[in-house]
Amino acid sequence: MKQFNLFFLFLATALLLVTGCKKDDPEPPEEEIITTLIYTLVPNNGGATATFRFLDLDDGSGPVITNGTLEANTTYTGSIELLNEQESPAEDITEEIMLEDEEHQFFFESGVAGLSVAYADTDGDGNPLGLTSTVTTGAAASGALKITLRHEPDKNADGVSDGNITNAGGETDIEVTFNVDVQ
Amino acid sequence: MYSNNSLSVITVLVVALFLGLPLFCLSQNCSLSVSGYVIDSGIDEPMTDVHIYLEEQQVGALSDDKGYFEIKELCEGHYHLLISHIGCEPQRIYLDIHQDTLLRLELDHSSIELGSVVISAKSTPASTQNRQSINEQSISDNASQNLANMLESISGVSTLKNGSGISKPVVHGLYGNRITILNNGVAQSGQQWGNDHSPEIDPLVANKISVIKGVGSLEYQGANLGSIVTVEPKKIDKEPHLHGRGSLFLESNGLGSGLNLQVQQYNPVIAWKINGTFKRSGDKHSANYYLRNTGNQEANIALQLEKAFSEKFHTDFYFSSFNTILGVLRGAHVGNITDLEFAFTRDEPYFTEDHFIYSIDLPRQNVHHQLAKLHGKYLIDDSQILNLTLATQINSRREFDVRRGSRSKFPSMSILQLSAFAEGKYQKEFSKDLVLKTGAQLNITDNTNDPETGILPLIPDFLSYEAAIYALLNKKIDKWFFEFGGRYDYVYQYALVFSQTLPRDILRYNNHFHNTNVSSGFTYNPNHDFSLSFNAGYASRNPAINELYSNGLHQGVSGIELGEKTLRSEHSLKTTLAANGHIKEKISFETLFYFQQIQDYIFLNPQDEIEVNIRGAFPVFKYEQADAQLYGFDINTHYQISKPLGLKFTYSYIKGKDISNNLPLINIPANNLTASLAYVIPSWKKFEDIEFELTNRYVFKQTDILPEQDFTTTPDAYNLIGFQLASDIQLAQNRMRVFTKVDNLLNVAYRDYLNRQRYFADDLGINVKFGLSLTF
Repeated sequence: MKQFNLFFLFLATALLLVTGCKKDDPEPPEEEIITTLIYTLVPNNGGATATFRFLDLDDGSGPVITNGTLEANTTYTGSIELLNEQESPAEDITEEIMLEDEEHQFFFESGVAGLSVAYADTDGDGNPLGLTSTVTTGAAASGALKITLRHEPDKNADGVSDGNITNAGGETDIEVTFNVDVQ
Repeated sequence: MYSNNSLSVITVLVVALFLGLPLFCLSQNCSLSVSGYVIDSGIDEPMTDVHIYLEEQQVGALSDDKGYFEIKELCEGHYHLLISHIGCEPQRIYLDIHQDTLLRLELDHSSIELGSVVISAKSTPASTQNRQSINEQSISDNASQNLANMLESISGVSTLKNGSGISKPVVHGLYGNRITILNNGVAQSGQQWGNDHSPEIDPLVANKISVIKGVGSLEYQGANLGSIVTVEPKKIDKEPHLHGRGSLFLESNGLGSGLNLQVQQYNPVIAWKINGTFKRSGDKHSANYYLRNTGNQEANIALQLEKAFSEKFHTDFYFSSFNTILGVLRGAHVGNITDLEFAFTRDEPYFTEDHFIYSIDLPRQNVHHQLAKLHGKYLIDDSQILNLTLATQINSRREFDVRRGSRSKFPSMSILQLSAFAEGKYQKEFSKDLVLKTGAQLNITDNTNDPETGILPLIPDFLSYEAAIYALLNKKIDKWFFEFGGRYDYVYQYALVFSQTLPRDILRYNNHFHNTNVSSGFTYNPNHDFSLSFNAGYASRNPAINELYSNGLHQGVSGIELGEKTLRSEHSLKTTLAANGHIKEKISFETLFYFQQIQDYIFLNPQDEIEVNIRGAFPVFKYEQADAQLYGFDINTHYQISKPLGLKFTYSYIKGKDISNNLPLINIPANNLTASLAYVIPSWKKFEDIEFELTNRYVFKQTDILPEQDFTTTPDAYNLIGFQLASDIQLAQNRMRVFTKVDNLLNVAYRDYLNRQRYFADDLGINVKFGLSLTF
């Protein structure tokens, strides 16, 4: 009986110690996200620069998309900039993609008649990357341009280096669609 | 699935009878004998072909038609007697022989013999709940499998998987938060809500694993709405010598291997047992290709200590540590719904390699679980028992995904859960036929996300307190056994949720819930050949933290999951009716019918909207409530065609409906059918209990689902054939068991509805296993 009382006392003490626990406030994580994609198109022979912007702060308010207008029959040099605007000042994610260029590739799917996008840069292995691109417009038209950033795609798969996403694999880090107006 | 015949030794009664005064009083008498009868305690009839072996003398005997055996010409001394029978873990008893000894060995040869699954149809039931178990030998023969996959051999149990290594049990259509898993009497605490979270338990520490298929027994903590899985190590044998068992297995698929060592010794100061397991496997292979990154590693240890301070006061301590790294199919890691749709169109998943790889890369889960339990049992007098338990658990889950930058070294999910449990139980036997069990429990859970992830957590930090009281009354009247019980749980939740708006605020939620459970039932045993059990239980379950506050992308399922703060408790009524019996020792059967109605059933409902963010489009799932119905039946039958040849048949049927919206419920297992033919040879040369078994398992296509309820069509029906050959070998001092087994013998390419990997790849191809275990 004596041993049992001691055992009981031990359990009761241990229990009291545990029930006294308090919950501390959690620390919000520093979110490692991409909030913004900016696609800037500068005409090669002068003219107005077009800026397409997709902003998603992940604050519950939904994305904000800014579309642009392009000139017909014009060649543009396009460049992509990625930001984390949850931080202040905004964090540049573009550099991160450049550092891991072999593991990333942008894909451009044009639904605009006459508009084509070609890669204007390569990664360390000589495969396309897509941070810089050449956009050529045809006659006036409008439609959607989808930009996808794939992480760990198979760049050697059939058609992938030509910008065909079908066999790329990997997982999508970014997938945004802009409405393009060619006038 | 398994081939062993069921037989578990529950009691070995040693009745040493004095057979006459020794004629010669020599110091060394070498003309003694040990003889006896082996009795089937279930039906009180003799058992034949039971092997009795005296280790020190290296002589054995086989029980005859009357259950009789005899070993002669023994000297006085200490002996170990090993009793074994087909499908049964060898039982060792320690004897001190000074005169001719007559033994009465009672084996609980369950009245129904259905393969490795032992159905507890004893003449005095402990409960009106339906319970099915897997015995120690079957656990050992399937050492390469995890807990849930092992349970799949029980009818009515399926598994929800993410590949072959990650699986959790589904019993009668319920899983996750609604199933309680008791590890040595303590409810497993961890991230049970996740469909891709395996229970963190090493089944090899158990001597018996059971599924209680009614409404969860009221004496256990946890959500008493669904069934209960119990994992029970047994008490240390009262055997003064060091004994144990070492097992080894190898398998061809994934080049898996494993080692388990159990050592125990009893001694009056302290009895101890140590159990260690190590398992490793690399990439698995489907019928036609390797499944990249599907290996796993596991290292576990368990320590059991027992001490009796007096005749009345016993204590035991249990510690277990479970540690695993689980690979997830590389091609199953997708970014958004576009990736998912691409994946469906492929014959082989992305990242498929043409050669075998051992290493586990990304994505993967690193999981650690520690449990410590201290228990004391005090016998107040002959009719009253008091039990006190204190337990604590630490569960750490870190999931690593393929991420940008060097972030892959940081987990995408990192949660630490601490829990503490205290219980007081009191049992009073008013008479042999009237027993009261009552108790009180307290459980505290503290869940903390580590901000190292750099991702807003899917489930928030929280603290919860659960306090419960219960009482159960059992009454036996003649051939009837009645059971009544009630339970009340008070649950307090304190959740700290990050706001969706920037800057991130902390939203605090305090919830109070009251759950009541009532259960009653009866068992009617008109004779040894038949029993009928009925049980009805009303239970309520409060919404869990993930159902209330989940918010974000669940990477594992590439969907946005939204909790609902206003969810109410679920209320359920489940009735089960079981009929068990046997006809002339030739045919035995067990049937279980069940019907469960759940009011305000909480489920993840796919929404019409699709959320578009910078990563693309994602399907949105929201926790909603509706009234649901689940019903079905499980049938097990066994037909002994001749003495060596037996045929077994199992069928499970289930239907789940959302009756508020007149829709099928998702993740309801497909109906399935298993038939097996076993042939047994009691002895051949050094081999004993040789068993051949051929198994055929057919799983129907799940057709009861609408196209808009799933990403793609459900997989076709499939048929798998398996083969097993097992035997025991009696060595001089030890007993050895060898088995070889082939799963998916025809290397069929198939996909299973409840395996999430089905969206990306085929299930496992042929697997040849070899196992060896040595009892010493």
